[in-house]
Amino acid sequence: MVDAARHPNITILANTEVEHVDGFIGNFSVNLITKPRYVIADRCNGCGACAKVCPIEVPNPFELDIAPRKAIDVPHGQAVPLIYAIDMDHCIHCYQCVTACGKLDAIDFAQQPQETNVEVGTIVVATGFASFDPSVIPEYGYGRYPNVITAMELERLANAAGPTVGRLVRPSDGQPPQSMAIIQCVGSRDKRYNEYCSGFCCMYAIKNAILLKQMHHDMDITIFYIDIRTPSKGYEEFYTRAREAGIRFIQGRPSLVSEDPDTGNLIIEAEDQALGSVVEVETEMVCLSAAAIPQPDAEDLSAKLTLARSPSGFFMEYHPKLRPVDAPTDGIYLAGAAQGPKDIPASVAQGSAAASRAARVLSQDTWEIEPIVAEVDPTLCISAQGKKCGICARACPYGAIVVEQGQPATIFTAKCHGCGGCAAECPHNAIQQKHFTDAQILAQIKTLLQDRPEEKILAFMCNWCSYGGADMAGISHFSYPPTSRGIRVMCCARTDEKFVLEAFRRGAGMVLVSGCHPQDCHYITGQQVGARRFERLRTTLERMGIDPARYRVEWISAAEGEKYARVITEMDAVLANYDPAEIVRQNRQAAAQIARRLKKWNEDPRLVPIFEDLPLAQEVLE
Amino acid sequence: MTPHPTQLDPHLAARVMERPGGQHLQTCMACGTCASVCLVRRFHPVFNPRRVLHQASLGMREAVLSSPEIWLCSACDACYPRCPQEIHISEVMGALRDLAIEEGYQAPGPFPTVDRVTCSGCAVCARVCPYEAIGPAADEDDPSRQTAHVDHTRCLHCGLCVAACPSGAISLEAVNDQEILTRVTAEGWLERQGLLAGGQEPRCLAFVCQWSIRSDAAWERAQRFGDQVRVVPLPCSGRVDPAMVLWALSRGVDAVLVVGCDDDECHYQRGTYAGRSKIYLLREMMATMGYEQERVHFARQASDDRYGLERHIQEMLATVTTLPTPVAVTIG
Repeated sequence: MVDAARHPNITILANTEVEHVDGFIGNFSVNLITKPRYVIADRCNGCGACAKVCPIEVPNPFELDIAPRKAIDVPHGQAVPLIYAIDMDHCIHCYQCVTACGKLDAIDFAQQPQETNVEVGTIVVATGFASFDPSVIPEYGYGRYPNVITAMELERLANAAGPTVGRLVRPSDGQPPQSMAIIQCVGSRDKRYNEYCSGFCCMYAIKNAILLKQMHHDMDITIFYIDIRTPSKGYEEFYTRAREAGIRFIQGRPSLVSEDPDTGNLIIEAEDQALGSVVEVETEMVCLSAAAIPQPDAEDLSAKLTLARSPSGFFMEYHPKLRPVDAPTDGIYLAGAAQGPKDIPASVAQGSAAASRAARVLSQDTWEIEPIVAEVDPTLCISAQGKKCGICARACPYGAIVVEQGQPATIFTAKCHGCGGCAAECPHNAIQQKHFTDAQILAQIKTLLQDRPEEKILAFMCNWCSYGGADMAGISHFSYPPTSRGIRVMCCARTDEKFVLEAFRRGAGMVLVSGCHPQDCHYITGQQVGARRFERLRTTLERMGIDPARYRVEWISAAEGEKYARVITEMDAVLANYDPAEIVRQNRQAAAQIARRLKKWNEDPRLVPIFEDLPLAQEVLE
Repeated sequence: MTPHPTQLDPHLAARVMERPGGQHLQTCMACGTCASVCLVRRFHPVFNPRRVLHQASLGMREAVLSSPEIWLCSACDACYPRCPQEIHISEVMGALRDLAIEEGYQAPGPFPTVDRVTCSGCAVCARVCPYEAIGPAADEDDPSRQTAHVDHTRCLHCGLCVAACPSGAISLEAVNDQEILTRVTAEGWLERQGLLAGGQEPRCLAFVCQWSIRSDAAWERAQRFGDQVRVVPLPCSGRVDPAMVLWALSRGVDAVLVVGCDDDECHYQRGTYAGRSKIYLLREMMATMGYEQERVHFARQASDDRYGLERHIQEMLATVTTLPTPVAVTIG
């Protein structure tokens, strides 16, 4: 940190919150609010004379409220920058600090929050994690029994710079404990709280156990665990060392911690699976390895930076394997536990990776993006005619579209990722996605259904998941009926409901619409935009007289080749049982209504060559 | 039984999972929380829900379905709120029992027996049973009469019906009125004089739900009161019969304490509620009759309260000693 603070190209803005972020890769404009310290940063030399005279003591959050701090203090001894700040919630305005500061005259009670704006090319999000509060698990007694502590509290209690100067004592009586139990997976691997594995708790629990054992040879340490996970380099050897050091490992998740009211000792009940029987262990202290959880303000930050979040609440990466450092928004990178629970080596690695990903952008004058962006035809956009719309802006997961009444919708090309959701949502065909235009897709539908369409399954697949799934089915040599015909779109959000209707008008036997699983969408919320539309479409089709069994929506990931083959096989079986004449009848019956719905397309001069073989809507109606 | 690949039924897990309640079988990661919280294990050390689940998911059909273990779970659901995988274990057990019955296995019991001559078909037992295991049906000998019938696939022998039956027509092995009274009077305990009978120190009878005694240590701590307190374990506090309480008071016992589980921890779902209601009603009656209702008390024992049982007894003894004039209860 000190190195970073001295680096000429690094500015540390401590005490500062991100208020608003605008712009796009290479051109972000960030509004920041610097909270008042009531101490002038340039004048404070960190001598601490003010804290010495301050009469107010408040709980110290850095020491997890185990120790006090003054109402004017630094967060902790190694804080960078080392500038004191007044906690105005507790200050009594006795002004003793002002006197103590003397000639430096660094204290300024009139300071106000300061708004600043910085222009940056890239952003790295490294906001870390928070610790799960185990008091919500009643059976472990945290918060009720003083001698039940969390691993973070143990870190402070055993730390030489901590409140007890490294002397581990029991909170109930201040005596050094002779025994300690460590309980793993508190709030993690637990569907009631957090389903994921926190990843690094096994290692820090073993580390703490070994440290305690080194400091107090006679200490009796028991670790209760479900599974010990030590997959990284040298970790398993470390675990073996702990076993050799005499630390007791019991495989079994405790069901109850209760306190002996006379001694303050704790009795842990668990099943020792190796013994196959219940054990009761009495220890003087219990340490809970609490889960790593997302920062409480992660949602707020994700809204400001247009970031997606995984089901666990941590920030989501662009692609779990291929782009694990990039956020879905270009120019924003993730580092450390903000993206998911991580230990120190992994956080350092990801931090370095994020810095180099950012440097890649900053070292260039121009930045190439994919050419598949969307564009607005201002003559068709009804917003330009002063009408209220904005459907495209609501569908865009990146906030790349701005709609002002009276003006045609504007797409910030640099922000557009090319999912095509807006093009499909626009009710007036005013938006086209380059390389995935209506004309191009309609031409594919027309060609694929030219010959005996009632025997075919037309499949719309998203580029990232379902198309990959179909590929995987082929690579894995899963056999499936040859009746399917695929059309690739970037995201299922691009699959316009009118494409499905057009497919049935062209006589298709079955239509499959597929995309990513909700949490896997490559366009943040593209899948949801599509899913809502496909659900509506089901009732529309039913009203038109098309059997809903002929229309299927499936979420297929790139790894699910087997699922793709299965879905096509099942659909083929449905199709095989259908009388082709019935399919033709249903399609003919719906044709008039479909024609009415596709009227705008029929009138579009760009699409005339595609529809010229079809009877005009008017004729069908007659 | 050693699982051998050829003896494993690859379809067993799927068959359990397609039944209501069985669907979470295979998410179990064998952490052992259920096994360590399970109340049944104190009385049946062979019982281990983790192992039953694991055997079922491996496909050890014979071992699981023929085992008495699947019938031991009383659906108290002490494990369910603590299971990190949210597996409703009692429902999985239910699914396994259904399968066992389908395959011709029978529940081991013991089951309550109904004296069909004295049974009046009033259906009080049906209302009190937490498992819908007992209820009136046409009598076998005289179809014009209704008598209580016990469904052996559902009954978990809590004894609530035995206590509730107004005709005394139901009996259950080991928890009959007579057997409980024998335990109260054993070693001439009632002959010793309590305060009511002019003795020097109070004498207290404690009916304790056996599931609320968490460990052998807790049981031993309750014994240290010696002759002063007679602790009688019951399968459930709901098994307490108010007549039994009054009988004890009329025989010179100074106080009767009933200890049951907390509401959401009852081993028989709502047995503790039944027991508590009975005692509260009895206290009301005693007050109207002019007796000190403090002599009868229902105490709730939370499962994480290791020292609760002895504390409840101490408090009861303290209360009784402070009561002003001993008035002997007589039943006429």
